[in-house]
Amino acid sequence: MLILSRKIEEAIIIGDSITIKILGIHDGQVKIGIEAPKEIKVYRSELYDLIQKENVQASKSKKVSISKTAMVLRTANVVQRNSPK
Amino acid sequence: MKFTNRQFGEMEFDEKHIVEFPEGIIGFGEYMKYLIVDDEDSQPIRWLVSLEQSDLSFAMIDPALIIDDYQSSLFKDLDVTIFLLVALKDPLEASTTNLRSPLVIDNATRKGRQIVLDDECLSVRHPLFARQAELVEG
Repeated sequence: MLILSRKIEEAIIIGDSITIKILGIHDGQVKIGIEAPKEIKVYRSELYDLIQKENVQASKSKKVSISKTAMVLRTANVVQRNSPK
Repeated sequence: MKFTNRQFGEMEFDEKHIVEFPEGIIGFGEYMKYLIVDDEDSQPIRWLVSLEQSDLSFAMIDPALIIDDYQSSLFKDLDVTIFLLVALKDPLEASTTNLRSPLVIDNATRKGRQIVLDDECLSVRHPLFARQAELVEG
């Protein structure tokens, strides 16, 4: 890992197209501005990790007989539609 | 064309039915080509089955079965098909679905992407049977 020290308003450039600027530091929180091409996806790492974990769970889903699921979902939907608001 | 998946066996399909995820699914970036498979026994769950890795498939569901107006409020006027990934668990009642990062497939190009929505109220582990729970509790 490359470790750099930066002050407020200073930036780093990654490759030719990504700029990361320190906008402010307040109460232990750093505000960061990121400029990157549209095709570069930027995620908060904890959210990315969470989604990745759920994706792994979805990929582990085994084909089971879900006629039960279908029934439960349908019944729930029908009852909800018919129930007064 | 033919491909054999561990769970779904040999699948015969036309090239025009391939759905391509150029960036892959988050965490599975190396696999881009998929087929949407409907398995009669597991409806209304649908399956995104990899055409590159015989062990890989994802359970998913039409958001309309989970939340009213999900597509119309978030993807208004776009010609896209939306699926939510589903983590099927044992027991089935513990299954969850991910509202925060749906699969969005362009109907015209059949290209898809897993997007991440900004709305922090959308859970990545929304109970698949939330509506049933509401009914039981209510």
